[in-house]
Amino acid sequence: MFDWILDYYNWRVALQYVPEFTRGMTATMWISLISLVLSLVVGTVAAIMRMSANPLLWRISAGYVQAIRSTPLLIQIYVIYFSLPALPILDRRLDEIEGGIIALGLNAGAYMSEIIRAGIESISKGQVEGAKSVGMTYLQRMRHVVLPQAFANVLPPLLGQTAVLIKDSSLVSFIGVFELFGAGLTVLSERLMPNEAFLTVAFLYLVIYGIMLFFSNYAQRKLGGARA
Amino acid sequence: MIEVIKLTMPFLLEGLWMTFKISLITIFCGSLLGFVVGMLRTVGGWPISMTLGIYIHALRGTPFLIHLYLIYFVLPMTGILWLQLEAFPAAVIALSLYTSTYVAEIVRGAVQAVPRGQSEAARSTGMTAWQSMRHVVLPQAVKMMIPPMGGIYVIIIKGTSIVSVIGIAELVRAGEHATQRHPRELMLIYGMTALMYFAYCYPVLRIARWAETKFGTVRLPS
Repeated sequence: MFDWILDYYNWRVALQYVPEFTRGMTATMWISLISLVLSLVVGTVAAIMRMSANPLLWRISAGYVQAIRSTPLLIQIYVIYFSLPALPILDRRLDEIEGGIIALGLNAGAYMSEIIRAGIESISKGQVEGAKSVGMTYLQRMRHVVLPQAFANVLPPLLGQTAVLIKDSSLVSFIGVFELFGAGLTVLSERLMPNEAFLTVAFLYLVIYGIMLFFSNYAQRKLGGARA
Repeated sequence: MIEVIKLTMPFLLEGLWMTFKISLITIFCGSLLGFVVGMLRTVGGWPISMTLGIYIHALRGTPFLIHLYLIYFVLPMTGILWLQLEAFPAAVIALSLYTSTYVAEIVRGAVQAVPRGQSEAARSTGMTAWQSMRHVVLPQAVKMMIPPMGGIYVIIIKGTSIVSVIGIAELVRAGEHATQRHPRELMLIYGMTALMYFAYCYPVLRIARWAETKFGTVRLPS
């Protein structure tokens, strides 16, 4: 009775490619996860550098953010994938996944640093002074007092940027990384069936997005009272 | 090296011109569509608001690359003649839809940021809902919509880099062709491409920041 659907979406073909789609989906998720961790580290360091009194430090950080924000990710991926092997410290060519993750992490790191900076600036001076007066060093103040509150305050935009990161990870398929979009490309090239390939991939991205929304709601409830 | 720059520059500039054209058409169409969606979502009843909410979430939850492939490869499979799009219109439509979701959120955020008392006062002087929107709320809201549009424009410019995959000869595509002609100068050519994007985006970001100090900023519902 649903035979007419088969003209537009042949789920039997889609089902044949379940292993590819699963592999692609897990790849997308863990590539995003590693990039996310990298971007948070880079973003925190860049945000702290940006707020330092040393002009050299904040200029480096500002230049990094400007450069990333005004060039497309695709170009950044190409430049990093093709240029990093030329650095003398690496004696081998980076593989596609490493290059892709570094590019994604550095890209998201610039946006994260702007958000994290806003978070750090939202912490009242009294907090830092209080920490100083109990004898905490700079690192201790950051680690135990400022950063935990800063992250809690900017959780919603951080999660929004994470969603962007997950979607952006589709671009690393162009340097040959197999992930969810790459799975779609595989189906397209083997079966010449764009509907089965890309409608499925679109749906799976929505599933990942849904999972993220669920976790972000959970995190926001957990941290309750943190303002948007 | 100078030789390569001289040889590839004309092609890259042609690509930049294409990028410029696409981004200009898209900011126009995308803003228009986004404005309509945002307004409908703000003033429409819950069925409209919910439908448009699904539209925004569906587009926000999938990569732009997917939208592009759906419009360029999947729509023609329906067999309907006017859905058989050429690369250029497909790219512009995909980018405009993508842009509209961002603009819609900005429009909604700006309209909601106008204090309730404004529209209440307008209604109490006998204005209709439409008049109060047209003469009281919107003029104030539009001011708040201007600064974030700079960020949207930069998102579009960067988005145009992706439409190279369906064969549009914009900046990235021009760069790729140039690297095939001069494979040894790959880094130089991608560096030049990146610089051109920078030269296009950086002024826009600066103007956006200036507009922010002038018109103030709106907090977006996330």
